[in-house]
Amino acid sequence: MEWLMQKAIGKREYLNELYLEVKREDFREACLYLYNKKKALLRLMFATDERQKDGAFRVYTVFSIPGMDRFFIIFITLKEDLTFPSITKDIPAAHWYEREIRDMFGLVPEGHPDPRRLIFHDSFPENSYPLRKDWTISEEDLRDWGEGIKQKVPYKFLEVEGEGIHEIPVGPVHAGIIEPGHFRFSVVGEVIFFLEARLFYTHKGIEKHFESMSFFDGVKLAERVSGVSSFSHSAAYCMAVERMAGVEISQKAKAIRTLLIELERLYNHIGDIGNMCAGTGLAVGYAKGAIIKERLMQLNQRLTGSRYLRGINLIGGVSKDVLLQWEDILSTLDVVSKEYEELMDMLLGSVSHIERLENTGKLSKDIAQRLGVTGVAARASGINDDIRRAHPHLLYDRLNLRVHTMQKGDVFARMMVRAKEAETSMSIIRTILEGRYEGELTVEVKEIPEYASALGYTETPRGSVFYWVMSGKDYKPFRVKVRSPSYCNWPALPFAVHGNIVPDFPLCNKSFNLSYSGCDM
Amino acid sequence: MLKCIVKNLITKKKTIPFPEGFGISPEEEARLVSMQKKIHSIFGRSLRIRQVDAGSCNACEWECTALTNPIYDIQRFGIDFVASPRHADALIVTGPISRQMELALRKTYLATPEPRLVIACGDCAIDGGIYKGSYAVTNGVANVIPVDCYIPGCPPTPIQIIHGIEKLLDEVASKKVK
Repeated sequence: MEWLMQKAIGKREYLNELYLEVKREDFREACLYLYNKKKALLRLMFATDERQKDGAFRVYTVFSIPGMDRFFIIFITLKEDLTFPSITKDIPAAHWYEREIRDMFGLVPEGHPDPRRLIFHDSFPENSYPLRKDWTISEEDLRDWGEGIKQKVPYKFLEVEGEGIHEIPVGPVHAGIIEPGHFRFSVVGEVIFFLEARLFYTHKGIEKHFESMSFFDGVKLAERVSGVSSFSHSAAYCMAVERMAGVEISQKAKAIRTLLIELERLYNHIGDIGNMCAGTGLAVGYAKGAIIKERLMQLNQRLTGSRYLRGINLIGGVSKDVLLQWEDILSTLDVVSKEYEELMDMLLGSVSHIERLENTGKLSKDIAQRLGVTGVAARASGINDDIRRAHPHLLYDRLNLRVHTMQKGDVFARMMVRAKEAETSMSIIRTILEGRYEGELTVEVKEIPEYASALGYTETPRGSVFYWVMSGKDYKPFRVKVRSPSYCNWPALPFAVHGNIVPDFPLCNKSFNLSYSGCDM
Repeated sequence: MLKCIVKNLITKKKTIPFPEGFGISPEEEARLVSMQKKIHSIFGRSLRIRQVDAGSCNACEWECTALTNPIYDIQRFGIDFVASPRHADALIVTGPISRQMELALRKTYLATPEPRLVIACGDCAIDGGIYKGSYAVTNGVANVIPVDCYIPGCPPTPIQIIHGIEKLLDEVASKKVK
């Protein structure tokens, strides 16, 4: 670690975040030092436009070393030269982040293997970078963008050539009730040889939009980044702002947040297990999963007034003491755990179902690690990583949390990791309800200094979510970076489906259960 | 077997009630069950809907999916979600219409046969909702294609969506009379 400290030209420590500024020429080496020598994981990477502060752009990379509750944030300052050294060739997990930085800020990752745009489609104007503070766009350009007829920067799909290879284009509007995205399969007969996913159809400019609203309204937007992870997203956002303001929420508020995060995980995991049955055509399993999910959604509604646990998180705490409804929670949980056991018994006893899951959609540990896969998908491939344990927050430091992993990385492994985590969530909820918690529901957030910044994070049902917030004037954020788990996991899907047959694609897709909205933002 | 078929042909099928313990009141139920008649009188048989996500956060989609679960089970009212706009009487559009989905939505609309009813589902579909004013959204379905009916809510619950569809049916019925 001493080597890294020597290279740092600026150092700042805040809570468990260590900011290290390095010179442009040391940037790659510093990142590689953490990645190779210390086996650190790349958590997120982003840029900021701080030109109004000191005339510079900055590129940040956030690493964390397993077994250490500390974030190493390496950053460089770019003034005249708007390029930065790409780390993608050594750390493949950075490949989307760097392309995103290029699209959003016009900062060019030098040496990046993929020169195509990531976020914006063909009709978006060239050399237009929305996250720059002085960015404007003409009405005409906006209209052209929506019409999608003028190909301003044509996107070239990777082509697979060879005897017997043909392409199947799918989407953006799919057959089921799901989100939009375009998939291009290159297949040999029925076997998928290569899949290219063109996403970002639901790009809503969320990061820019955060900058236009106050910290307090931002919670509502964070709830709407990804529908079924509403609570964990807003919890991570609130955590970032609270940390930035130097505020510690009460034990009671922490307990409520932990409880609701686990409740969210529970309804998602059980719903996902049911949905996988839809992928194999096991209608009864799908129906049973949907019934349990509906019970939990209705419990959510009774607790918070929203089936998606919205409107509970506030900056500084929570708006309602849901612990008072402990009887309702426990009685629902009793019914749910009984039905859930029945469902799992049935699924594990259905040979036809299990056979479809085993050896389907395999994601190797090596690829998962290199691409920075997170959450259930990572744990099913043998990566022992869970933000709740790696960086304990809320009440997770007190709970004896077991991280469930499987080695094989197939659809079955992902189902089993979900199944075990659902059980763990139920026991966490019961444990939380046994305790007594002191304190007010909310604490006051007073002054937030300008250009202060902090990370907020938690484990959503899909994997880790990170918010990095930098404050501006008038209770408004200067920059909000959202890194949702789906953003990390989408690039892994083409590897998982390679060699599978096309009819198994929906099953593989459902086993990852990725959010398009959370990824596209 | 033949007896069964004949019996099914002459007797009117009864809509199965909602399961107990899921917080749907009997009055509500009676109201929903009466929808089936309306659908029959308007469409002759059933109502087929194509769902289009144009930038939603995915909560509205899950609520539409919930409509087909064993509790709400809208298929028994004669409503179903179909895989292609070519098979649809109506579109349910969710989301604030992100600019990158605008073209796809227009194409989907044009691929739908007349009367091409459009339901804007959720707060964002109405006016952009929380995303209103962002550079990448068009602030509502009505800015892109004509809308026949709005369903507010963020997201609207499955029951609210059913009510919305009922509202659409009433509107269509009143137009037919005129």
